[in-house]
Amino acid sequence: MYRDSGSNHPLRSTEDDATLLEKVRRGDELAMASLYDRYSKVVYSVALRVLRDPASAEDVLQDIFMQVWRQPERFERSRGSFGGWLAVMARNRSIDALRRKRPTESIDEIAPASNYNLADEVERDGMMDRARSVIHQLPVEQRKTLEMAFFDGLTHSEIAEMTGDPLGTVKTRIRSALMTLRKAFTA
Amino acid sequence: MSIRHIEHDDLALFAMQLLSPEEMQAAAAHIEDCPECRQNLAEIQGNLALYASTVDMEAPRAEARERLLAQVAKEKKPAFVAAAAETELPNRSFGGRALLEEEETAPRRGIGGMIFPWLGWVLAACFLVAAGKLYFQRETMIGTLDEQRSQIAQLTNDATKAREIMDTMTDPTAMHVTLTKTPSEPVTQGRVTYVANKGMLIFEANNMEPLEPNKVYELWLIPASGSDPIPAGTFHPDEHGNASLLMPTLPKEIQAKAFGVTIENEGGSQKPTLPIIMAGV
Repeated sequence: MYRDSGSNHPLRSTEDDATLLEKVRRGDELAMASLYDRYSKVVYSVALRVLRDPASAEDVLQDIFMQVWRQPERFERSRGSFGGWLAVMARNRSIDALRRKRPTESIDEIAPASNYNLADEVERDGMMDRARSVIHQLPVEQRKTLEMAFFDGLTHSEIAEMTGDPLGTVKTRIRSALMTLRKAFTA
Repeated sequence: MSIRHIEHDDLALFAMQLLSPEEMQAAAAHIEDCPECRQNLAEIQGNLALYASTVDMEAPRAEARERLLAQVAKEKKPAFVAAAAETELPNRSFGGRALLEEEETAPRRGIGGMIFPWLGWVLAACFLVAAGKLYFQRETMIGTLDEQRSQIAQLTNDATKAREIMDTMTDPTAMHVTLTKTPSEPVTQGRVTYVANKGMLIFEANNMEPLEPNKVYELWLIPASGSDPIPAGTFHPDEHGNASLLMPTLPKEIQAKAFGVTIENEGGSQKPTLPIIMAGV
């Protein structure tokens, strides 16, 4: 569950992500600390889920936030949801670390579209609880297939081989699971 | 003309980097120029971000925050450093954090007022960095040059010595004297110096009999492996009976069992013609 320990980050900024990113672009370290306090838990948790190793997850956390510090304009250019971008990037960087390959830049250039203000903690918590609920209601096969693809980084061929399902079925399950998630949030 | 877009299933796999490298490359090229697929991809990324946030949340250690902020402080951005330096002079006693807060809340000045006070600092910092870099590069280059000069001098010295040895051995006016136990008759002698792993050979002979016209002496390397003798060069003795062979072309890594000399027709032979008139094991 998402609970805030509150011990690590005494400062809570009320400024939105765009303002903080603009300050980061100008070299404001306090703004950087605010963004870290806002999103470090999501980034770390996603990395930990993929890598299952706290030290490696911390390395991914460090890499991603240093990239924000060095190139905040990369996200500013693409717009979209900054929190979502960080969560997806945490997953992608962790899978890269698992595969020991270089980061794939082309995917990070597309920021996730989101109607939610992930900067707002209350809204973010509500959204996460709702997403968990949707995922738990998915058919087991769909849930398992999406988990294997997203968190374990298995290709559809590998999943098909492991489950014995046809390739097309694997693809359909991934798409269906994501569509169900989207519908639940656009309804 | 209709455009073939990327199917939704494959777009999801692309977003998760699960396509083959070739498919990833092709999809990335298409998406770059296709606003519709970019939009679909952004939506899929949004769904994946939602899905990512369903993991159990766990806070990183406090040390991770300290580590990040220490690295951030280490990689200060030049403009901000200059701005901080500008405000630091009258507020030195308030410390770094106070300075940062001050920067956030300071009343806005005109563009000129904002730029000119710290422009000098920025320029000075840039000049200092550039000068330091140039000095470091100059010192490194001087060190490299000195090292290369020393290597060249050593190589030149070695080459000069090698040339002197070669000149001495091949000089037609050189006097070749073989010392033997007295009293004794002059004997025909050959001396081979051979380095197998480099295929390098030097041969010297004294008191060789003059040859008939159209005949030549030929040196042979007899391999330890038992394979056929390898021709190691032909030679004619001078009027004093002296002869030499320097660095004939030989294969490397051939261990020699013995060396021999035969008399062959002018031009040499690929197989020795008996008898072997000189041999050494």
